[in-house]
Amino acid sequence: MLVFLFRRIAAGAVLVVVVATATFLMLSLTGTDVARNILGETATRDAVTAKSQELGLDQPLAERYWHWVQHAVQGDLGTSWFTGDSVNQSLTDTLPVTLSVVLAGLLIAAVLSVLLGTAAALRGGWVDRLVQIGAVLGTAVPSFLIALVLAVTLAVRLGWLPATGYVAMDVSGIDWLRSITLPAVSLAVGATAATAMQVRGALVDVLRADFVRTLRSRGLNTRSVVFRHALRNAAPPALTVLALQFIGLIGGAVVVEKVFGLPGIGTLANSAAVRGDAPVLLGTVVVTVVIVVAVNLLLDIAYGWLNPKVRVS
Amino acid sequence: MRKTVAFVGAAVLTATVAACGGGGGAAGGDSTLTLGESVTATPWDLADASIGPEAQYYQPVYDTLIRLDTKGKATPNLATSWSYDKSRTTLTLKLREGIKFTDGTAVDADAVKKSLTHTRSGSGTAAGQIQDISGVDVVDEHTVAIRLSHPSASLVPALGQVSGMIASPKALDDPKTPVGSGPYRLDTAATTVGTTYTYTRNADYWNAKAFPYDTIVIKYLSDQTARNNALMSGQLDGATLNLNRVKTVKSRGLNVQTYQPGDIEGLYIWDRAGKIVPALGKLKVRQALNHAFDKKAIIKASKTGLGTPTAQLFAKNEEGYAADLDDTYSYDPDKARKLLAEAGYPNGFSVTIPDMSSIFPQEQAALTQSLKDIGIKVTLDNLPSNQIFSSLLAGKYAMSYFKLGATTSWDKVQLQLPKNSTWNPFKYDDPKVDGLLTRIGEASDDDQRAELFQKLNTYVVDQAWNAPWNVMVNAYATAKDVKVTPQPGAQYPPIYNFEPAAG
Repeated sequence: MLVFLFRRIAAGAVLVVVVATATFLMLSLTGTDVARNILGETATRDAVTAKSQELGLDQPLAERYWHWVQHAVQGDLGTSWFTGDSVNQSLTDTLPVTLSVVLAGLLIAAVLSVLLGTAAALRGGWVDRLVQIGAVLGTAVPSFLIALVLAVTLAVRLGWLPATGYVAMDVSGIDWLRSITLPAVSLAVGATAATAMQVRGALVDVLRADFVRTLRSRGLNTRSVVFRHALRNAAPPALTVLALQFIGLIGGAVVVEKVFGLPGIGTLANSAAVRGDAPVLLGTVVVTVVIVVAVNLLLDIAYGWLNPKVRVS
Repeated sequence: MRKTVAFVGAAVLTATVAACGGGGGAAGGDSTLTLGESVTATPWDLADASIGPEAQYYQPVYDTLIRLDTKGKATPNLATSWSYDKSRTTLTLKLREGIKFTDGTAVDADAVKKSLTHTRSGSGTAAGQIQDISGVDVVDEHTVAIRLSHPSASLVPALGQVSGMIASPKALDDPKTPVGSGPYRLDTAATTVGTTYTYTRNADYWNAKAFPYDTIVIKYLSDQTARNNALMSGQLDGATLNLNRVKTVKSRGLNVQTYQPGDIEGLYIWDRAGKIVPALGKLKVRQALNHAFDKKAIIKASKTGLGTPTAQLFAKNEEGYAADLDDTYSYDPDKARKLLAEAGYPNGFSVTIPDMSSIFPQEQAALTQSLKDIGIKVTLDNLPSNQIFSSLLAGKYAMSYFKLGATTSWDKVQLQLPKNSTWNPFKYDDPKVDGLLTRIGEASDDDQRAELFQKLNTYVVDQAWNAPWNVMVNAYATAKDVKVTPQPGAQYPPIYNFEPAAG
């Protein structure tokens, strides 16, 4: 198990390095005049040259990269070229926002997909068809559209929930929940659709299995069969899909954060990318990759623990 | 058991949604002014400060030497009076007495000198505005003399903006939090850097009654949709608006102000000497381009009709504006083709321009179509939007769509007319313009200067240096109970122009 873990961690670290290097190179090779973008169209040529030197852009690429790596391995991701804010601080501020929304979205998706998937598998007939149609729609409609509709109807028209902004959990728990509800729901729709179908499929298979027939023949009632035994056996494939959804949701969060004006890591990455703010963009990329690698690692461990065969291969 | 937990979780979520119905954090009626910003704050260090919409972040904390009023006129603030010497290269200012920074340090001549010198040493746009300052002298405790390397009509207006903001000498070099003598101070506990900035009253401020709100909150919301939603649901008291949203927002009963910050948009001809496109070196060709645009139709299509057709350098409230110049070139494609033929280009000519349709789709379409209509063959060059500035500045394109504005007429011409100015990428030189610019800088009375500006304006329009089509309009929306007065030269209304609406 230790060797298996070590190998996975090493692979993850390599991935982080590769992605960071590729991002750095792409940012450096676009030929954007960052100093001009920082200072705007009214700045003089001298000011732009001075700014370039201040940012160290006149130094060779390899040197700049080495400089960044040296600091990054010590946990210092530098400062924003545009605002002068520390990248570490920006990430500390934005990460909880994104994680709140994504995890809440995931929780909603998990609960709903189990309910809907189970209902579809057990009831069959029109319930099943309704859930399947809903799933197709839920997968097809992009999350930003759902976000826009929710924002305009529930927040602007009806005023039930805030239209924009994020309240930290330690400031007010209830306001935190209010601020993340609509974004989380927007994200949850797609994830629910995908996972519900997985739960339905797995459950249908399990209910056909021999051990279920045996249990039934012993006179156990349906509720007990489904919730005590069948769902537990159908859980692993649903969990896999949910874990994959988590990674997808981080991507989807970029758009949803924008619509709801949430200061999350997606917004941070987006504005950094538009302006060419290399230190911030590199920071967000590294952190996102680390999270994705960590989630995959946890998933691998879970599998390895459940199924010893995985550890050997 | 697992089922119960899941159901409880779902129930809590639904319950919260239902229980909290009925309006979130509406800011109306209290003494808090909450504004939405479309740009992030620039660093607190004034040496790195920007002068555009970012100014709103600084205005609560840092007081300026001079206050520009709603007409853009300089009025006393930290400086109670000022005057130039005969050569117009030294500006002497008398400072208000008994003023202190929020850290207790006195706002005296020494502090002003340190702050101005510090800002000037930086590389931000605020620093760029006062590069003509060659030194600052302390005359006595309450008098400073600012020396200029050459006469400049933009110094006094600059001292009324970010460049003229004064920071405490103790917090100059590495201000983690801003320390000034302004009407408010930053409440760091209620501030999240990059997202929400909260300012509370500075109890000792000398002119508190000019600021009706006890608290000012500035929120950064990058997305226009998010800003609109926040405005319409009452989370914001003020924010800029896209022109295509003006009607919707007005119909909701909110106040919308439209104003001209002075940006002129249209076809900018960079290669006036015909270095890479020889046709552009001919006056008749440049005039033909001026006759090519149906300005009203373009404004209608690209700006929902909000804008003013123009042919000149300056906007209505700017020095040197001359109403009759706007009739110089009518929309007349036939005349344009005739002029092209007279110049020796009966079949037009070919030109490559940058494709800006990713950021200005309607404007780009109007430009391309109008040029094609008079027989000019246009090739669009595709490039990422964040490379447009550098490609234009590198002289890669002979002409393009562009918009340019500046806080004063002087800044506006300095930015694009002299040989070495930033937005003269081909370094086009005209002795007549240079001569006029020198005389404007030396002019001692306002009337004389305005007349010279008009002369310069007329000359540049006659020579068809560019083919402008619209004086751009900005829109700013405020909540029902908030009134705002926009200010010429300011992209966003300064915070001291906000007040509770009467009634």
